[in-house]
Amino acid sequence: MNISMKFLERYIDLPKDISYDQIAYDLTMRTVEVEEVIKTADKFHDIVVGEIKEVKAHPNADALRICMTDVGEDEIKQIVCGGSNLTAGHKVCVSKPGAEVVWHGEGEPVVITESKLRGEKSYGMICGSEEVYLGDIIVPKDEKEIVDFTELGIECEVGQNVAEVMGLDDVILVVDNKSLSNRPDLWGHYGVAREFAAIYKLPFKELPENLPEGLPEYKVTIEEPDRCPRFTATKIDNVYVKESPQWMKTLITNAGMRPINALVDITNFVLMAVGQPQHAYDSTHVKGDEIVVRLAKDGEQLLLLDEKDLDLTSDHLVICDAEHPLNLAGIKGGKDDSVLDSTTSVILECAVFTAPGIRRTTAYFNEKTDAALRYEKGIDTQRANLGVNMALSLFKEIYPDCVISAFTDCYPVQTEKAVIDITQDFLDRRLGEVVERTEIEDILTRLGYEVDYDNGTYHCKAPTWRSTGDVSIHDDILGDIARIIGYEYFKKQPLGISFESSVNQVKVDLARKLKEYLAFRCGFNEIFTYPWVEEKYIHAAGISDEDTIKLATPPSPEQSMLRPSLIPGMLSAIVGNERYFDDFCIFESAQVFEPGEYHPSSDDETLPMHRNYLSGAAAGRDAAPLFYKIKGAIENMASYCHFEELTFAQNEKPKWVDEKAWLNIMSGSDKVGDIGLLSVVALNDAGVKNLKAAAFELDTDKITPYPSRTNAFKHLPLYPLVEQDLSILVDESVKWADIAGSIDKMVKELKFVEEYRGKQIPEGKKSIMLSYKIGNDDSTMTSKQIEKKMGAIVNVLQKKVGAELR
Amino acid sequence: MLEKLEGIQSQGLESISSASDVDALEAVRKELTGKKSALQEVLKSLGGLDPDMRKSVGMKANEIKNLFSEKIQEREKELVAVASSVKGELDLTLPGTAVASGALHPITQMCYDLNDAFRSLGFEIYSEDDISSEKYAFDNLNFAADHPARASMDTYWLKGTEDKRGNDRLCLRPHLTGGSVRYLLQHGAPARFVYPGRVYRNETTDARHERAFFQYEALIVDKDISFSSGRVMIETILEKVFGRKVNVRMREGFFPFTEPGYEIDMECLLCGGKGCKACNQAGWIEVMPGGVIHPNVLRAANLDPDVWTGFYTNIGLDRLVMMRYGVDDVRLFHSADLRFLEQFK
Repeated sequence: MNISMKFLERYIDLPKDISYDQIAYDLTMRTVEVEEVIKTADKFHDIVVGEIKEVKAHPNADALRICMTDVGEDEIKQIVCGGSNLTAGHKVCVSKPGAEVVWHGEGEPVVITESKLRGEKSYGMICGSEEVYLGDIIVPKDEKEIVDFTELGIECEVGQNVAEVMGLDDVILVVDNKSLSNRPDLWGHYGVAREFAAIYKLPFKELPENLPEGLPEYKVTIEEPDRCPRFTATKIDNVYVKESPQWMKTLITNAGMRPINALVDITNFVLMAVGQPQHAYDSTHVKGDEIVVRLAKDGEQLLLLDEKDLDLTSDHLVICDAEHPLNLAGIKGGKDDSVLDSTTSVILECAVFTAPGIRRTTAYFNEKTDAALRYEKGIDTQRANLGVNMALSLFKEIYPDCVISAFTDCYPVQTEKAVIDITQDFLDRRLGEVVERTEIEDILTRLGYEVDYDNGTYHCKAPTWRSTGDVSIHDDILGDIARIIGYEYFKKQPLGISFESSVNQVKVDLARKLKEYLAFRCGFNEIFTYPWVEEKYIHAAGISDEDTIKLATPPSPEQSMLRPSLIPGMLSAIVGNERYFDDFCIFESAQVFEPGEYHPSSDDETLPMHRNYLSGAAAGRDAAPLFYKIKGAIENMASYCHFEELTFAQNEKPKWVDEKAWLNIMSGSDKVGDIGLLSVVALNDAGVKNLKAAAFELDTDKITPYPSRTNAFKHLPLYPLVEQDLSILVDESVKWADIAGSIDKMVKELKFVEEYRGKQIPEGKKSIMLSYKIGNDDSTMTSKQIEKKMGAIVNVLQKKVGAELR
Repeated sequence: MLEKLEGIQSQGLESISSASDVDALEAVRKELTGKKSALQEVLKSLGGLDPDMRKSVGMKANEIKNLFSEKIQEREKELVAVASSVKGELDLTLPGTAVASGALHPITQMCYDLNDAFRSLGFEIYSEDDISSEKYAFDNLNFAADHPARASMDTYWLKGTEDKRGNDRLCLRPHLTGGSVRYLLQHGAPARFVYPGRVYRNETTDARHERAFFQYEALIVDKDISFSSGRVMIETILEKVFGRKVNVRMREGFFPFTEPGYEIDMECLLCGGKGCKACNQAGWIEVMPGGVIHPNVLRAANLDPDVWTGFYTNIGLDRLVMMRYGVDDVRLFHSADLRFLEQFK
């Protein structure tokens, strides 16, 4: 909504010493955010009133004239112009050099410069209304007509800025309609003025609400009082289509609408003033001289003002005459029966329609009109009084000869005032400080509440315009008091800290330790991918569609499946990064989903299965080291992150792994995850071109964090240990686990150093280098003991795994 | 003989002072004081001298020996003081050895900073699941039955549930607030907790809009606390995150699950509140909505609104991280692009 300061002035006198920016700030802090402050005069810079002193022929062009013009500067200026109505002695609109005008009212503004036209100097430009943003207010009769203030009877001074002349030197506060959703009373300038009156404690110019009396009734029937609680019809004769007066066109323009003709403009003006939609029907088109508010019959049709032909259903409320629908109730008028050029008598509708029906119907026909926007926020029935009164006084002003010949107020349901008690004690506690009773009463009264104080309790009646859903509980009243005082004026209240118990969340801590371990110890980069994954990657990871949860309206048709695993996301990230990197490690921690039943909060709510997964991948050129990198990350995870040890087994082959290189990750006897090289199929199907990759996936819900550090201190060895390296040759079929298993009881420490195959190593064999430490618990080893122990180790290796020394 | 000793002494001192490093000095030591040194030769030949001579030559030789070892020690100290472990040249401009290159996502880093700040104030950390139901995402939170956010244009409903209602209509959670009721049902009141997480909206994406983004919500439920405590909490948190005092303002705002509700703006850190492109010339940036928990939400959590009250604040993590680093496209957060992520080590 555009709030025009000139419009507001009709209902409140704002102090002149407050800047518009301050006004915008105060409204933002207390009521609704002002997104922009527009000074409408800005675009009229250097566009002024000039007086034509003399009109001369142009020596080189028949269609052009030379106008000697006084623009309020030291000398008379020569301006070349092709206008059809150039008259010496008349005041016209002149754009001086620097002004920005729009050629023929179309396209981007162009900056005026001093120039020559067909050889004659021209200082600036004498303009038509459309060229200087006045096309809606001064409608030109022909294309070449220039704005002639004298002819139009508009008072002005030579040199005066045209924005000022036309009342377009306004300031507009722009508010997003969305932020007004909860405040139907602010959808008109009258309501906004009331807020300012409360904010600045100023008088508010209340409007009269009395209705016509003693007139014949016009026949109105409301069949659906739930959908239409009030309908007033006023018959006004002896009117005709004409332009609205200047002041009204200007205000309508400033507030962001276009003037059309006086009959329509009156209804739009009332809409913008008090937020009450109205509609005028050509009374000769209302057959049977009666109005019926009813539901449409299935199959009934209505042609709207915007030429849209509607097929109505029985959920759509329509305003009808004795025979046909005339209007889609509260949304848009019908083309055939609204104001026409030939109209001489109107039926003015000022009615209230309830929000839910309006919302359904606007959504059904996709008709978001100014009227519908207001009705769907909930309008009180009492507002119609303001609407009727204002409209009729405008009719009398603009059509002094009009006759109000009939009036009916069909009013089956009244908006009840919300009745709410609020205690001083509640306010004191929740506001955190004591606000005086006089202050509370003053604020509430200014906002329209009726307040009756009795022994610590304020018995409040909310105004009807706040009683359509906005205000219903005492917290709402507290909010009104707090915001009008201004949140910034309340003393800050420090928060106490309770030491009743410590915050001890080992699971939460574990999740963080895991991430920090992978990032800082293992050198993995954390990534985020979407929970919906492209089918290609889901399928590449060997997941079938039926194992996934799907979205009803996915971001794209290929992204309808929610991930049951993080591996598809790893694949997509590898594809994305292999263009720039050939060696990288990534990880992601996120929830995955699969069909199943899960009740996180209550038994009546059943969600699909959620699992908290952690997955990582290492991508590079050479497969085996990638596998060991991932294996190392998992092997060391438990000791660095302080949870129960992980081991490996090979029980259940996951879908995404390589034929040769995979293991299940075990915690005790439970499988908690997998590691492996990504299968050749997975890499191919995902579109990984050059790299190999290994990955792990871990269900972090299945690992148990230690409540604290658990490893016990071990005494340092009292006697020195002897460290030995050993290179052995074994058959390819011999595993490290066999080697280690055969001697680990004989040594204090055993380490794998490297595996080697190459020229010096016979086919079918591999060389293993290992390192171990030996020592006595009660003495320093003698060289004899050392020799004996080493010999024994070599013997065992020979016997158990057929090792030869290298 | 004494003359010879004079010669040994001066030559010896010369060699000591000209030794250029510790190794050279060691060689000099051997040469001057070793078994085959000239001095030793002289001492060996003492037996052949007359007693007087023997005495004076012996004394002199020992004097020289002591002098040598004293000077060698001195020289050694000098040499060690200027010695280096490096043989040859060392290029100090070569880059140092790389460290492990991993990093946490910048959103995670911000989240942990906030966690640390809230933990220090005694808050628990809670997380709700990504999939929720209409009951928890909307009904419990006082959203009107026909609120537009419930439409599939706004929320990602799960296939097969989209036409159902309440408990049976499931969605990717559109905000974190639903989790507050889950926590309160489980733990009761009083409570103070944060619940960070990712939320999902059916939106058209551009540099400022994402379908998946991160929020960080905090809730305090207690007796008789004022909304103005909320402002203290927020100022404390922002100061911790940005490392300096950040001015905030609280203004009127409206959300179904709060009454009253407010918007919290922080002074733009780029221009210091003067107005710049980043803050749309306003000087303020909307960082978080908040408000006093609506009585209907407390009721949904089985709490009596006459006894309990509390306030929410919800921080848009993406926007905060964008402010922290000057990131200009929110979509980068989900890009998994390491060229971007590696900048946040």
